[in-house]
Parts: sequence; structure tokens; C-alpha cells
Amino acid sequence: MRFIRTLLAASFVVAVTACSSSSSNSSIDATPNEVTLLAYDAFTPQEGIFDAFTAATGAKVKVVTGGDSGVLISKAILTAGTPEGDVLWGLDNTLLSRAQKAELLTSYEPVDTGDICVNYDKQWFASRNIAPPTSLEDLALPAYKNLLVVQDPVASSPGLGFLLGTIAHFGVDKWQNYWKSLKENGVRVSPDWTSAYTIDFSGSSGKGKYPLVISYGSSPPAEVLYAEKPIDTPPTAVIEPTCFRQTEYVGALRGTRNPNLAAQLISYLLDVPFQESMPLSLFVFPVNKKATLPDLFTKFAVAPKNPLTLDPTDIEKNRDAWLNSWREIIL
Amino acid sequence: MARNHLVSKTKTLLLAPVAFLGLFFVVPVANTLLRYFSFSEFTNLLSSRSFRGVAWFSLWQAVISTIATLAIAIPTTWALCRFTFRGARLARGILTAPFVLPAVVVAAGVLAITNSRGVAPIIWAHVVFNVSVVLRIVGPRWSMVNHRLEHGAATLGARPSRTFALVVWPQISDAVISAATLVFIYCFTSFGVIAILGGVSRRTVESEIFTQAVRLGNTTTATALAVLQAIIIGALFFITRRLTRTSSTSLQVSSPQELRTKPNNRHLPLVLTAVAIVIVASPLVATIYRSLVVNGHVSFSAWRTVFSGSLPALSVSSQSVVTTSLLFATTAACICVPLSLLVASTSAPRALFSMPLVISAATLGIGLIITFNTAPFAWRSERWLIPVIHAVIALPLVIRAIDPAVRAIPISLRNASATLGASPFITWVRVDMPILTPAILRATGLSMAISLGEFGATSFLSRSGSTTLPIAIAQLLGRPGVATQHAGFALAALMVLVTVGVMSRA
Repeated sequence: MRFIRTLLAASFVVAVTACSSSSSNSSIDATPNEVTLLAYDAFTPQEGIFDAFTAATGAKVKVVTGGDSGVLISKAILTAGTPEGDVLWGLDNTLLSRAQKAELLTSYEPVDTGDICVNYDKQWFASRNIAPPTSLEDLALPAYKNLLVVQDPVASSPGLGFLLGTIAHFGVDKWQNYWKSLKENGVRVSPDWTSAYTIDFSGSSGKGKYPLVISYGSSPPAEVLYAEKPIDTPPTAVIEPTCFRQTEYVGALRGTRNPNLAAQLISYLLDVPFQESMPLSLFVFPVNKKATLPDLFTKFAVAPKNPLTLDPTDIEKNRDAWLNSWREIIL
Repeated sequence: MARNHLVSKTKTLLLAPVAFLGLFFVVPVANTLLRYFSFSEFTNLLSSRSFRGVAWFSLWQAVISTIATLAIAIPTTWALCRFTFRGARLARGILTAPFVLPAVVVAAGVLAITNSRGVAPIIWAHVVFNVSVVLRIVGPRWSMVNHRLEHGAATLGARPSRTFALVVWPQISDAVISAATLVFIYCFTSFGVIAILGGVSRRTVESEIFTQAVRLGNTTTATALAVLQAIIIGALFFITRRLTRTSSTSLQVSSPQELRTKPNNRHLPLVLTAVAIVIVASPLVATIYRSLVVNGHVSFSAWRTVFSGSLPALSVSSQSVVTTSLLFATTAACICVPLSLLVASTSAPRALFSMPLVISAATLGIGLIITFNTAPFAWRSERWLIPVIHAVIALPLVIRAIDPAVRAIPISLRNASATLGASPFITWVRVDMPILTPAILRATGLSMAISLGEFGATSFLSRSGSTTLPIAIAQLLGRPGVATQHAGFALAALMVLVTVGVMSRA
């Protein structure tokens, strides 16, 4: 009891000071020497990367995050025209058309690319003397029965990317049959990337039962960079022909109070220093051809020359119908 | 009621809680409804077979989850409130800890044990989360029941079951019904647990609201679903209020007291508590296990990482994450507890203050961002808005935690104080406060716990450099790399241990 009382008294003091200090912070909002970058929670740029921007323009970059890309875009669309920030990071080709319809942005440009691909647990296949699959078709073969875990395309963006990849590969009339055969072959559907990769997948920390998982072309270098003990090669690898290209865009929000700073920030994000920082902080590929890739990426990440793609307008037009037929097939 | 003399004088005090709720809850929600509710969409929904399936699943899993929770929590509450034994405080801490944990942690713990998704794991996770709700609401009430009455009944030859039915039950029934209602609502509107353990086929109305609003961009459908959900929960409230009104008896209170363990049932309380702990704590142990064991051998590297401060792959330190979370939790408690105390000491309509339970988190979240987006109310990315919304969400529960204690204050003491010439304020300070102190401390803990674990409405609010624990854990578990995930589990395990520590001292 006494412990709690002391804790309460102390925390009250902390709270009062904090509230007063946070309300003084809020006035920064109006200052023109700041530009706000809206991004999803997973936006973790390299520390100090915006210092050069501040040195050149005199404006600070305030990064405001809120939710995953779906939450971020839905929020921004609900208040299109009265934006929370100046520049938006996190729109990808599956969401682009929705944003265009709502006239969310005044301008936008591709800022990075990544690929959603089947990853496999190298050791699982090697220790059993089984060759890993090499195509989407292989995943439906009896040799790979009960080995694949995918994410729910309704709730998860890699899940949606993989579904779109199968539609791009098999065509709008044939993909349904492919998914029926995947289902017969025991595909496991997990709700999101986290539970698929960290619980069901055998090649990462969870040591689950499934040696094939939908993840990114850049997941193997992440496994090396964030390994428990230093390792030379990743425990996982990517099946290239399964990759669906994801392009992320950056744009100036309609209604921004700082259109000039917004434009300057966008060019900064597209310039070489920021583009070269992206692979190891955000695990995506630069779009700027002048940017060089770190060794870890050239060695272990996969970015196929001819990935599977779909037009953003087609995605927007058909997404609900595709998701509904996918649900009917899987349930 | 006999406390009327106090009521008339405190009516003006109600202005604060009503204004608070009005500004940060009623206005945003009304704004969402006005802008996005369409009657035709609502009727479409009623005739949709797929929606009826979702509603039916929400309903029956919530009923079973509630029954399972009560079956485990009520005997444990009895054991912990009526007996003293070694480890009782620790047991209480362990049983209350899951309440603060993000759903992703508890669900991952359950999944690590069951290794399959479906109804049984969902119900288990719901029990893990909700045992503490029953413990916190029924516990204080039960420990105030005067045990001399039970002795009296026993002396007169009543068997224990009869004593319970005739003496104890009438005095705790409204607390039990109140707790059961809350548990039902939490399970009915379950979102995080369902998202992880439900798989593709198991959806609740709440998870469907989120899918429609955020994943598919159908705000109108989401709003219609939210209205339907509010109607269903509102109806339930109406029924239980009638139930509590008819069954509640005036309390034969005494200050909190403990029975000595009787020889003939020395082991029963211990056994009941142990059973509950095994059920509740095993997913937590699984979390701690995953923070310590990598590739089959023990490693403390994730714990070293967490304590060294820098979290892998995230641009925030673990200290700043913990500080932010505690700051939000204490601020929310500083707002919520005084307001709840004001509400509890007046005859304010409780239904008004239960509204945050009825409305889906996504609806409130949408309301906040469309309401507070233009000057002079451009507050949506303000740091302080997050603890304020935590306080709104905690309000109904905290009122429930304080209410029984206020009602249990013997009117005779107040009358005596007034007769001796004390002003209502002095009476409040000298009579009410000392009796209420334990309840206020519990309410503070509860409010902080809700704030620490909240991951619904505030996930719609943007943050600048104020990552909270649930968000940091979700981010760490959401990236490839063994070290990153390992650190996520270590952070979650730290949250478990700290909560157990704090709750077992409260």
C-alpha cells in the first residue's frame, strides 16, 4: 500500500510536468521551419538522416507515425484536404488508386520498391534432401504438401501481394483453380505477417512447422543483420519466380501549409544519401539508379528483373471481388 | 436513497465528467454517425447472411467465454478474498497481469502452447484476459461482506451451499452481474485475440468493423456494423440493469476482513488458486520462455539488449518506450480516477458513463480524427490526446471499481458525522475517504493497466516520437531477424514481470 501511495504521488508530479511540457511542444506545429512527414509505424529511418536536410533548408523534419499502411491511408483519406502533415510516406501500388480517388495527394512519385516472395528455410530442405520449390506451380505439388504458410490477404499486405502475384501469373480466370489446388495441398492461412513468420515458419525465431512462408525479397539480409549470433549467410532464401513487385510512393498532401518545404523534402527522399540509407533501415530497394546497394543486399536480397506486377487501377477496381472469391475458396 | 443529502450538493460536480465525456466521446462518435450512417446500408446488413454469421459467432463465443471466465474466476475470488495464505498477493498479481498485455503477446503465448487456431484457443485467451476483471470488481465487494452472518447461518445449521445462496449471493450478486456483463462485452467486441487466433474464418463484429473501415475503405458499412453492435450491447445492458436492480440487497458491510482458514477446507482455496494460475499464467510463461530460449538453448542476449537501451531495428530506446507508456498511464489515471470518484458519489445515470463500452474502438477512432482535424480543435496529433482517450476508455471500468465501495459506506457513519456538526466536505474527508482509499488505489491500478494495454481507438491517433510498449512489441515481432523478435518477447516478458510485481503489492 505504502509503495503504491509513493508511486502515485511521484507519478502525479511527473504527469503534471509532462502535461505542461507537452502542451508547450504543440505550438511547434505552426512554425514554418518544420515539415511533417506522415508515415506508418514501421517507418524507422536511419538516425540523423534528416540532419543534412535541416542544414540545407533550415527546416526540421518531424516524423509522425500512426498505424500500419492501411490505417495510415484510411485516416488520411477520411480527412483529405485537411492533412495532418505535409508529406505522406507509405502508399503502395495496392492502395494508390484509393488515394487518387480521394484526391489525397497533389503529386506523388515512386520512392522505393520491394518484392513479396515465398521465402524458405534452407536447413529444413537440405537436411531432408528435398529440393526447394522453384515456381508458383511447384507449391501445389504433392512433394510440398502442408509446407506453405501464407497471410490473410484481407488483413495483411504481404498476403494481398502474394494473392495479386498469383492473379498476375495465372490470369484473372485461372487463379481461382490454383488456390483450390493450394488449399488441397494444405496451405496454412495465418492472419498476419507476424504470426506467419515468427510462429508458423520454421526458419526464424519461432521454429514452427512450415518451411515455406510469404515474406519479402529483403528478409534474408534482415536475418543476417539481426541474427542472434553473427552469421555469414542467412538461414532463409527467396524463390525468385514467386515475387510480386511492391512499389511505395511518397507524395505531397493536398492542403499542406508548406508546399515548398514538402517539395524539398520529397526531392531529399529521392536523392542519393537517403536512398542509400533505405536498404538497411527500411529493407527496401532504392528507385534512384545512382544509389549503390550495401554488400548485404547485393549478396542476399532478391529483386527479380521481371517480377509479377498488376496495374494499380485494376487492383482497386477488382480488389473487393477478388478478396471475396479468395475467401470463398479458402473457407 | 439515503445519500440524497449529499447528492443535491454534488450535482454541480458532475459537470466535469459530463463535459469530459461529451467532448472526447459523444461529439466524435456523433460526428461519425452523422457523416457515415446510412439507413439503407443498415437494412442491407440485417439481411446479409454473411453478417448474420459474424454476429452469431460473436455472440456464442462471448457467452461461452464469459461462462468459462466466471467458472474459473469466482472460486478464485472467493479463495483470495476470504482467506490468507502465503503467496496470495503474488497470486493476485499474476492473475491481474494479463490485463495490461497487448493481445498479440497473450495470443502468441496461447498459440505457442496449442499450436492451432480456433474456438478453444480463443476462449482460453479470453479467460486469461478477463479473470482479472472479475477479481477486480467482485473481489473488493466480497471482502466487505460481513462474515459473522455466515457464521450465524452455519451455527443455525445451514450447509455451506445454502449459506452462500441465502447470505453471500444476495450481497455480491450485483457485483458479479456487473463483472459478467463487462466480460461479455470484452469478449463480444474482441479484436486482437480474434485477429490472431481466429484465423480467416472466425470473425467478430468488431474485427469486421475494422476490416471494412481500414482494409476495404467502406466507412459506411463499418458505421452500420458499429450501430448494430451498439444496439446488441445496449440491449444487454438494459437487461442486466434490471437484473441487478431486482436482486441487489442492502449490504451488511464491515471493513475488509479475512476469515481464518478452517481445518476442514485448508487446501481448497490453495487448490482453486493454483488451478486458476496454471490456466492464466501458462501463456505468460510461454512468453518468458521465448524471451530466454533461442534454438533450444538459454540466452540472455535479448534481455541485455532491452536493458542496454537500444532496441534493434527501431529508432527508439527501450527507456523512452517505457517512460512514454508510464507517462500516458499515470496521466490517464490522474484524469480518470477523480472523474470516476465524482460520478460514483452522485446519482448520475450510470448508462451515460457506460457508453464507451458500447461503441466500437474503430468508430471512436474515426470520430476523433474527423472531429479534431481543424482549428481551434486541431488536436488529433497532440501528444496529450492519447492519455485523454485512454481515460475515456477506462472510465466505465473505473467507475465500476469505485461504485460498490462508495455504496458500501455505512450511512450511519455519515449521519453521525453530520449530527456532530461536520460539513459535507469534512464528512467526505474523514468518513468517506478512509473507507474509499483501497478502492481508489485499485481503481488507479486498473486505469493504468487499461492505458498500458490499450491498442484500439488510440491506434488511430498519430504519434511523434511517443512509441508505447504495445506498439514497440508489435513492431519488434513484426520484422524478420531472430534478434528483433527475441527482443520483442523480452520486452513483453518485462511487461509481464513488472505488472505482476506492481499488482501483487496493490
